Amino acid sequence: MPIQSVSWVSKTLAVTRKDIVSEFRTRYAVNAIVMFALVTLTVISFAIGLLSPSKEILSALFWVILFFAAMSGLAQAFIKEEESGTAMILRLSCAGSIVFFGKMLFNLLLLITLSILIVPLFIVFLKISPADWIIFTGGVLMGLIGLSGATTIIAAIVSKASVKGALFTVLSFPVLLPLLVAAIEITRVSFTGGSFADISAPFQLLVAYDVIMITLSSMLFDFVWRL
Amino acid sequence: MWWKIIIFFGMSAVIVAAFLTASPMRAADSLGPVDAYRIFYFHVPQAWVASLAFLISMIYSIRFLKTKNMEYDTKALTANKLGVMFAVVATVTGSIFAKMTWGEFWNWSEIREVSIFILLLIYGGYFALRSAVSDPDTRANLSAVISIIFAVAALFLIFVLPRIYGLFSQHPSDSILNESGQITMGATVRIIFFSSLIMFTALFFWVYNLSVRVARLSANLLLENKK
Repeated sequence: MPIQSVSWVSKTLAVTRKDIVSEFRTRYAVNAIVMFALVTLTVISFAIGLLSPSKEILSALFWVILFFAAMSGLAQAFIKEEESGTAMILRLSCAGSIVFFGKMLFNLLLLITLSILIVPLFIVFLKISPADWIIFTGGVLMGLIGLSGATTIIAAIVSKASVKGALFTVLSFPVLLPLLVAAIEITRVSFTGGSFADISAPFQLLVAYDVIMITLSSMLFDFVWRL
Repeated sequence: MWWKIIIFFGMSAVIVAAFLTASPMRAADSLGPVDAYRIFYFHVPQAWVASLAFLISMIYSIRFLKTKNMEYDTKALTANKLGVMFAVVATVTGSIFAKMTWGEFWNWSEIREVSIFILLLIYGGYFALRSAVSDPDTRANLSAVISIIFAVAALFLIFVLPRIYGLFSQHPSDSILNESGQITMGATVRIIFFSSLIMFTALFFWVYNLSVRVARLSANLLLENKK
């Protein structure tokens, strides 16, 4: 049915748009994520202010900031639905995969907004700038896609639990570790200035990780969403 | 009843034989004291049982999602409970051996150590999730989903990551099989090692069977009390 496939995309975008509108009203997730990233960045640049850390360490710190900032806010996408009781209506109005991709897209936009704010500050505070912007942007973008793809289903799982606090981070870390290692490697190459040949292995890993995680999550999502 | 007796005598025989016969150290690995290599008889079977338990729990998680039979959830949980025990013991014995021969308790660039640490984190996340959800049905569904996601992430960590991260293995790759698939151990070492492997596996299945039966009985008891 060709009509179905068209409306699938527009329905997914409608879920994303709904989340963006409600996010603009409360600004909870954006505030949490941006403030968390800002605080972490400040702590790091205070702590190493007088030292001169190597580029390898800075690329790891960059992802530590992004990882923990993401952990502070991404779980909200589903917790908010469950707490305000709108999850039930969302469940009735469209299929699970639409909700999954809609929320994933929203989380991705949130993370992209975050990195647009954090990257300039990181460059200014820590006195480093990528030697190769294409590698840097590509690595960050693929990393963020994987980050939102793998954590969306975990956010849905956490929203069903009674103790939500640290559970999201605890569950996400083992899943995100391959992604973080590959993303740190690409960022390191972009800081130290390498060629595309240097990032081919981590980039392949990142692409494979993104595809597999998003596929797996969308397959398993209904088991979590329709409980 | 018979299992208990067989495992008791078999285990005792393996332990005595492991310390009385010649050490499994070969000319190729001449680091550290000769007797340290006796840990091979226990460490490898423990790590094997930990991986086996992880695999069993993943299979039962998939079967649970297919059938929604609570029996499979109990089996997956039991396998994980025993698996974490064997994983901790394997980590500790491995760490002691690493100190005796390679000079450090822990080395982050040794792939087996990283992967067993991630395995422990995964178990931690699994149990944290289970304790955070109170409804048994929801709990079973959520933990089955997270088990499958964890298993896929673990595949990435164990098989893909080492190729790009420059992780290496100090574990001799030919300690059990050589490249053409033949057993490399001497006759005595081979008999003790495989008896130990069988005994540890039998021990696991014996305890596993008992725990599943206990869980089944207590579930029945709970049902009767409710009536």
